[in-house]
Amino acid sequence: MPRDSTQSPQTRLTPANSGFSGTTGNAWYGLFPLVAGLAMATALQFILPGAAGPYYSRIVIDAGIAIVLAVSLNIVNGMTGQFSIGHAGFMALGGYTAGILTHYGSMLLWGSAGRHGGFLGSGELLFAASCLAGGLISAVAGYVVGLPSLRLRGDYLAIVTLGFGEIMRVILQQTGRVIDDAEKFRSGGLSQLIPPPVGGAVGFDGLPKYTSLFWVYSLVTVTVVVAYRLKVSSPGRAMISVREDEIAAQAMGVDIARQKVMAFVIAAFFAGAAGGMFAHESGVIISPRDAGFQRSFDYVIMTVLGGRGSISGVLIAAAVLTALPEMLRDFEQYRLIVYALLLIMMMLVRPQGLFGIHEIWDLFAPFLRRQQKAAP
Amino acid sequence: MTADSIHSTTQPDSGIVQLAPLLRVSDIGISFGGLKAVQQFSLSLPQSVLYGLIGPNGAGKTTVFNLLTGVYQPDSGKMNLSDISLIGRKPHQITAAGIARTFQNIRLFPSLSVLDNVRLAGQLRSSEGLLHTLLRTSLHHQSEAELKQRAMELLEIFELQHRAHELAGNLSYGHQRRLEIVRALATSPRVLLLDEPAAGLNPQEKRSLAQSIREIRDRFQVAILLIEHDMGLVMDICERIVVLDHGVTICEGTPDVIQNDPQVIAAYLGAAPDSGQNIF
Amino acid sequence: MADLVQTLITALAIGSLYALIALGYTMVYGILKFINFAHSDIVVLGAWISYTLSSKLLPRLGLDPHNPVTPPPIWVAAVVLILSMIICGLIGFVIERLAYKPLRRAPRLNVLITAIGVSLLLQNLGQLNFMFGASPQKMPALLPGWEIATLTFSDGESARSVVINLVDTVIFATSATLMLLLQYLVFRTKLGTAMRAVSFNPDNAALLGIPVDRVVSFTFVLGSALAAAAGFLYVMKYPGMNQPAHTIWVLLGLKAFVAAVIGGIGNVRGAVLGGFVIAFVEQFGAFYISSNYRDVYVFALLIVILLVRPTGLLGSPLREKV
Ligand SMILES: Nc1ncnc2c1ncn2[C@@H]1O[C@H](COP(=O)(O)OP(=O)(O)OP(=O)(O)O)[C@@H](O)[C@H]1O
Ligand SMILES: [Mg+2]
Repeated sequence: MPRDSTQSPQTRLTPANSGFSGTTGNAWYGLFPLVAGLAMATALQFILPGAAGPYYSRIVIDAGIAIVLAVSLNIVNGMTGQFSIGHAGFMALGGYTAGILTHYGSMLLWGSAGRHGGFLGSGELLFAASCLAGGLISAVAGYVVGLPSLRLRGDYLAIVTLGFGEIMRVILQQTGRVIDDAEKFRSGGLSQLIPPPVGGAVGFDGLPKYTSLFWVYSLVTVTVVVAYRLKVSSPGRAMISVREDEIAAQAMGVDIARQKVMAFVIAAFFAGAAGGMFAHESGVIISPRDAGFQRSFDYVIMTVLGGRGSISGVLIAAAVLTALPEMLRDFEQYRLIVYALLLIMMMLVRPQGLFGIHEIWDLFAPFLRRQQKAAP
Repeated sequence: MTADSIHSTTQPDSGIVQLAPLLRVSDIGISFGGLKAVQQFSLSLPQSVLYGLIGPNGAGKTTVFNLLTGVYQPDSGKMNLSDISLIGRKPHQITAAGIARTFQNIRLFPSLSVLDNVRLAGQLRSSEGLLHTLLRTSLHHQSEAELKQRAMELLEIFELQHRAHELAGNLSYGHQRRLEIVRALATSPRVLLLDEPAAGLNPQEKRSLAQSIREIRDRFQVAILLIEHDMGLVMDICERIVVLDHGVTICEGTPDVIQNDPQVIAAYLGAAPDSGQNIF
Repeated sequence: MADLVQTLITALAIGSLYALIALGYTMVYGILKFINFAHSDIVVLGAWISYTLSSKLLPRLGLDPHNPVTPPPIWVAAVVLILSMIICGLIGFVIERLAYKPLRRAPRLNVLITAIGVSLLLQNLGQLNFMFGASPQKMPALLPGWEIATLTFSDGESARSVVINLVDTVIFATSATLMLLLQYLVFRTKLGTAMRAVSFNPDNAALLGIPVDRVVSFTFVLGSALAAAAGFLYVMKYPGMNQPAHTIWVLLGLKAFVAAVIGGIGNVRGAVLGGFVIAFVEQFGAFYISSNYRDVYVFALLIVILLVRPTGLLGSPLREKV
C-alpha cells in the first residue's frame, strides 16, 4: 500500500499480496518467546537459589542486569554505529527514579519503606512499576542526549554521552539525605523533595530489596526479544543502514536522525529499567559513582568483545565478564588491565568482535536455508 | 496526481517535448570555498525520458546529483519535482518524494545481505511501525512478506536472485554496480539518477547494462538522468544530453548536436574548437 | 573586586594547563582524526613521574622528600620537568607505534576504542604496587612559596588583598613559553609545514614525499611532552596527588578535550583559546554560582557550542565529499 502520495502507481510491481496468512500471522506466535522467557525466569527463581546457593544466585542476577545493559547499549553502538560511553548515566537515572518511587511510595502506601508482600505481591508490583517508570524517565533523557547526535559525528557524540554520565554523577552527589522516617515524610510537604532526598555522595541506602531472579530475567527476556525483533525487521534494518553508510542510508529514504534518536531512546529505556533492578538488589547501594564512566566502560567493553551488532555475542560477553571477575576475586587489580589488553588486541586482530554482526545461530543459517529450499 | 494522465499522452521514444516536466531545475549553483563547482545549472526532465549528463573529470556532474538529492544545499536557484519544491529538503525526504540515485563510488551496505540492501530501500514505502514489529502482529508479517517478495522480484529482473543471501560486500564489482541500481529502483522512484554505472565494466557488461537501462525506463516508467564517461554508450541510449565543464553548462541537445558542438569537443580535448578531431 | 581578581588569576593558571593538554588532543585529532583518549593518562604519568623523580632526587640533596623544610634549588624543578617531559614523550612514541599505527586505515571508531583500551591500561598499570601504587601521595614542594605581588583592594570600610603566588606565575609563564614554541614550530618550520600537510590530507602528503609515519610519531612525542609538563605544573599547584585511576584525572583530561573541541578541534590556536574559555567558565561559575557544579558548567558549555557551532570557535566547516 503506497503511503506516499507522490509515488506513481505504475511503479508497483505486485498487487497487494493477499494470500499470506496462516500460522505465522498468529498472535500467539508473537508472544511465544516472551512466555518462554517468563517461564525460564520463574524456573530460575524457584530452582536456582536452592540448587546453587545465594552466592551463585547473586552472580546470576548481576549477569542478568549486565546483559540488559550491554544488549541495550548495543542497539546504539552496534546497530546504529554510534558510540555512547555514558550508558551508566541512564542506568543510574532509572535506578534513582525507581528508588524514589518504591522508597517513598511504600511510605505513603504502607507507612514504612520496608519490603511489602511476597512473590508477585503488592510490594513487588510497585517495584515493577517503578522500574518501568525509571525506564521511561531514562528514555526521556535518552531523547535529550540523543538530540546532539543529529549534528555530531561519532566521536564527538562519545564525549557528549560521557559528559552526560559525569553530569549525572555530579548532580546526584548534591542530593539530600534519605528520609527514613515515614511519619515525618508523610507529614512533610513537597518541599522536602528539593533537593531530592536520595542520599548524596553516600548513595541511596535503605531501599527495599525486591530484585529477584524472576524480575531480572523477565527484563532480560523482554530486552533480548526487543533487540532481536528490531534487528531482523524493517526498523532494525534502517538502524543498521545508518551504521553501514549514513549517506547511502539517507539516499534510500532513511531518516538517519530519527533512527539515531530512536536507538538512544530504546537503549536508555532498558538501561533505566535495569538501573531500577540494580538499585533494589540486595547487597547493593546505588550511589553517584554508578553513573560514572568506569561503569559505562564496562558495558562498552562487553559490546565490543561480543561483537557490535550481535545480540547473542554481547549477551555471552556480558555474562562471562560479570561472572569471571567474581570467581577471580584475588586478581581484582589485574581485571581492568586484562580488559584493556583485550580491547586493544581485539581492535588489532578482530575488530568486529567475537561474533561480528552475526548471531550464534547464524552459523547454521546456510544449512537451514538449503533445507527450506529442498522442501516444496 | 496528474502523473498518470501525463504519462498516458507521452511517448518516451518519440522525442516530443512534453507538457509538464517532472523535474524542473533552474539556475542552481554551489561553491566549495572559492571553487564554483556548479554554476547556474538548469534542467527540465519530463516523464520517462533518458537524458545524459556528461563532462570531463571534475566538471561538477556528481555535484549536480548531490544537489538534486539534498546531500548539498544549493547556494541559489530552484528545484521542483512536479509541484514540490526540493530546496531545503533532507536527502531522505527527497528520496521519499521520488528521486533515487546510485553512487559513483559504490555505497552499498556491505555487511547486509543483498536481499536486505534491497528490502531496506523498499521499506520506505511499506514500513509498518515499531509497535507492530516488536509485537510481531499480522500486519508486521504481511508487510515483511510483501517487502521480501517485491525485493526478490526486483532481484530476479536483474538476475541477482541467486545472490540474495550473500553479503553485498562479497559481490563482484559488476554485481555490486547492478545491485546499486536495483536498490535505487526499490525506492519506487519517478526520477532515477545513475552516476557512472558503467565504470569498470567490460564491453560485454556495458552492452548488457545499456540494454538494462532502456528496459528500466520502459518497465518502471521512470525518468533517468545518466552520468557516464563512455561516450558510445551515452550517445547510443540517451535522448538528450547536457554537457558540463568547470561547473558551467556548455551545451545541451540531442546526441547529434552534442557530437558536433565545437565547444564540447574543445572541453574534452582541451584544444581549440577548430582542431577538427572527432572524439566520439 | 578582590574576589574577581583572585578568580581571574586562578582561571589564567588553570586555563593555561587546560590549553597545554588540549594542544595534545588537537594535534592528534588534526592529524589522525581520532580522540586520543589516553592523552589524559599521559598527564597523569607526567605528574606521577615528577613525583617519583622528586622523591628520588631530594634525598640526594639531603632534603626530606615528604616535607622539605627549605625549598630545593630552583634547578631541581627544571630537571624534574624536563625529565618527565622526555620520558612521557618516549612513552607517547611507543604507544603510537604499538597501538595506533597498525590501525592507520581502520575505521575511526576502532581507533577510538583502542585509545580507550590504552587509557584503561595506563591507569591500571600505574596503580600496580611496583609502579605508583593505588594510594594518594603528596607532591613535595619544588618551588619556593614566594609571593610575587600583593594587590590590595579597599571598598570603603574594609581592605582585602590578593596574593599572586610564584606557582601561578610559573604555571602561566611555562605554559606560555611552551605554547609560543609550539606555535613557532607548527607555523614557521619545515616540520610544522609537514604536520599541517599530513593533517590536510595524509595520502597527498605521502605522495609529496613527506614521511607521514615520522610526522605522526613526532606529533605524539610533542603532545605527550606537553601533557607531561601540564601534569608537572598541575601537581605543583595541587600537591595532593590522587592515584592514577582516580576520576579527577580523567575529568581533567576530559575538560581539556572539551577545550579543544570548543576552540575547534585540529586548530592549535583554538585549543589555547578553548582552554582559557573553559577555565573562565568553570572558575567564575564555581565562584559566582556554586562550586559544586563546576564540571556541569563545562559540559553544558560544550553542548551549547556544539549545537550552535559544531566546528568550534575557530574551526572551519567541512563538508563530506560524496
Ligand atoms: N565536498 C566537497 N568539498 C570540496 N570540493 C568538492 C566537494 N565536492 C566536490 N568538490 C569539487 O567540485 C568539483 C566537481 O566535482 P564532481 O565530483 O562533481 O566532478 P565530476 O564531474 O563528478 O567528476 P568525475 O567525472 O571525476 O566524477 C571538483 O573540483 C571537486 O573537487
Ligand atoms: Mg563524479
